Amino acid sequence: MKKVFKLLLKYYLKYITKFVLLIHRPTIIAIAGSTNKTFVKEEVCRVLRALEKNVRANPRSFNTEIGLPLAILYLPSGYNSYKNWLPIIFKSFLAIFQRDFPQYLVLELGVSEPGDMKYLLSIIKPRLAIITDITQRYLESFSDMDRLVGEYERLVKKVKKNGLVALNYDNIRIRNLAKVAKAPVEFFGLQNGAHWQAVKINSSAILRGKGRSSHYNFSEGGEEQGQTIKVSHNNIVKKYKIKYFGKHHIYSLLIGLIIKNYVTKHGKNN
Amino acid sequence: MFNRTKNLQLSIIKQIELRAAQYPDVISLAQGVPNFDTPECIKRRVELALNRGVVAKYSLCPGLPELRELIEISLARENMFYDWQKEIIVTAGSIEGITAALLAITEPGDEVIIPEPTYTSYREVIYLAGCKPIFVSLDEKNNWAFDLEKFKQAITDKTKAIFYCNPNNPTGTIYTKKQLLGLAELAEQHNLYLISDEVYKDFVFNTNGHECETNSRESRIFSLAELPKLRKRVIRLFSFSKAYAMTGWRVGYLHSDESVAREILKVHDSLVTCAPVISQYAAMGALEMGDGNVKKFNQEYKKRRDLICSRLDRLSNVFNYIKPDGAYYVFPALTPGPSPARALRERGAMDSSLSWKFALDLLDKIQVAVVPGIAFGPNGEGHVRMSFGRSESDIERAFERMEKLFNQCQMPKSKYQINIK
Repeated sequence: MKKVFKLLLKYYLKYITKFVLLIHRPTIIAIAGSTNKTFVKEEVCRVLRALEKNVRANPRSFNTEIGLPLAILYLPSGYNSYKNWLPIIFKSFLAIFQRDFPQYLVLELGVSEPGDMKYLLSIIKPRLAIITDITQRYLESFSDMDRLVGEYERLVKKVKKNGLVALNYDNIRIRNLAKVAKAPVEFFGLQNGAHWQAVKINSSAILRGKGRSSHYNFSEGGEEQGQTIKVSHNNIVKKYKIKYFGKHHIYSLLIGLIIKNYVTKHGKNN
Repeated sequence: MFNRTKNLQLSIIKQIELRAAQYPDVISLAQGVPNFDTPECIKRRVELALNRGVVAKYSLCPGLPELRELIEISLARENMFYDWQKEIIVTAGSIEGITAALLAITEPGDEVIIPEPTYTSYREVIYLAGCKPIFVSLDEKNNWAFDLEKFKQAITDKTKAIFYCNPNNPTGTIYTKKQLLGLAELAEQHNLYLISDEVYKDFVFNTNGHECETNSRESRIFSLAELPKLRKRVIRLFSFSKAYAMTGWRVGYLHSDESVAREILKVHDSLVTCAPVISQYAAMGALEMGDGNVKKFNQEYKKRRDLICSRLDRLSNVFNYIKPDGAYYVFPALTPGPSPARALRERGAMDSSLSWKFALDLLDKIQVAVVPGIAFGPNGEGHVRMSFGRSESDIERAFERMEKLFNQCQMPKSKYQINIK
């Protein structure tokens, strides 16, 4: 009974979501990868909101066959309760008539089984796609790494010429995905060759004085510890400071800059 | 022979539990175990992992990457910024994290300062590491606050760390930001580590009079791990046991600066290789979906705290208590002066620990288990710890028995004779 309900729910949410997207036509930014999707999502949302765009993103990590439609429709999960699902099913229908549907949807796509990406892409058509990283995480469900990478390849192929694909240059498998992209590709990373390259990192800096404060909140006054990063793009180097620690936050920063650059250039069309 | 273990004791809490298990109708307010079952959403997450066949193998030594990433996200919500790849380690409960941390940062002969009364097992772990616990008494008259002057006096050139629990077990005290910053200043001056065990951080009842800040939950405690300039000094521990009713899963985490976490990881690897993988998936479920349950537990504990305090009020001739602000314990003193408690205490006076005798007497006479205050350090003597992690009906039944006993105690001695073993 549970399985039948889940199947019915899955397809109901899929088609209602497709219909809602058809009516409202938001710009979809898809974020995929084994790690760091949540921080990238937060940074992309922050950048878009700073550009005064109306944005919606997955609450928490609603990024699977049921979670993704709920994220788009902005509804909670009923988890394992039939009773909880009834009002959600009703409210999902009302999303068709929602007035202030956001211009941008920033969506994490979760891949843990073969075929997951194919299913998620049967619901959404991303204008922009970001691949954060591909590691051995979730590999246990795939026969080999090629199969896992194949899931992400689907996403890259799906983005049309007028879109954008942002790829992690430091991961050779992700770098190679550029070969199948129809859309322009922007590479981010720490290595030479990335279009958006972090060239100098101080990972335990005292943050004070000048520098573009990106990412997350700084407490007012006083000094903070965090990272300073010099980013090179088109031979221009700018310095940024972030409060978070770890390389993955440097990637988030670079991705945010790519999105800002794209939306600033193409904003009127989006 | 057994040089390493000769100073260790089986925790008094466990000793009481072992004794209590011999009675068929015992009501235990002794062990700090929530009476709730692990929430359904967490069990479903584990079921999913089991069905996917991903729990049978070791994880990476510091833990599943997806769990550590979730931990980083949850820490960031509480204003703590740590890199999941290098600074967060998933442990087999917080006690394994404490052991790994102490073994990493100390050398045999070092001294570790513990404000007391506090959690009973800290002492044993410090001995296990070949170090010496230095007890610094909390100020009972000032709601069990730190007395910084006493800390200053306790610091020697052998002192390596100050190790505290916030909210404190057994007193339920929440240390204020000012008190903690005072401790941090001492640590800076004397180059000490600060080990902060925050397993009860989600159970906070009163914010009046404290500098607690609000976030999505009702309130939260201040942690020194929020201060970036202290990140190389602070080792913060958390366990899923209490907050998510997961004591049996044995999973928690610690975080510190990369330079410290790297060293702790070596010990963690040699102790357990990795935390149980099935429990790590449970922890993921907790962080993904368990927030509502924590809030519910918190509300429930607040009700139980009020209940146990109202029952203690009715026994004011026996117990004298400070209302706890956090955790799920109350730590009443046995009232001095002519009272039934005094009668019980005097009969135990021949023994060095009055609270131990008192607890045994309660257990033997009315089958109510409480933990003697001596278990929590010398300054805990003359008190008992009662847990309101138990159900309301357990609390009610335990107090009915106590009221009956103490009423009998007030009767002429000829009619009622207390037998102390």
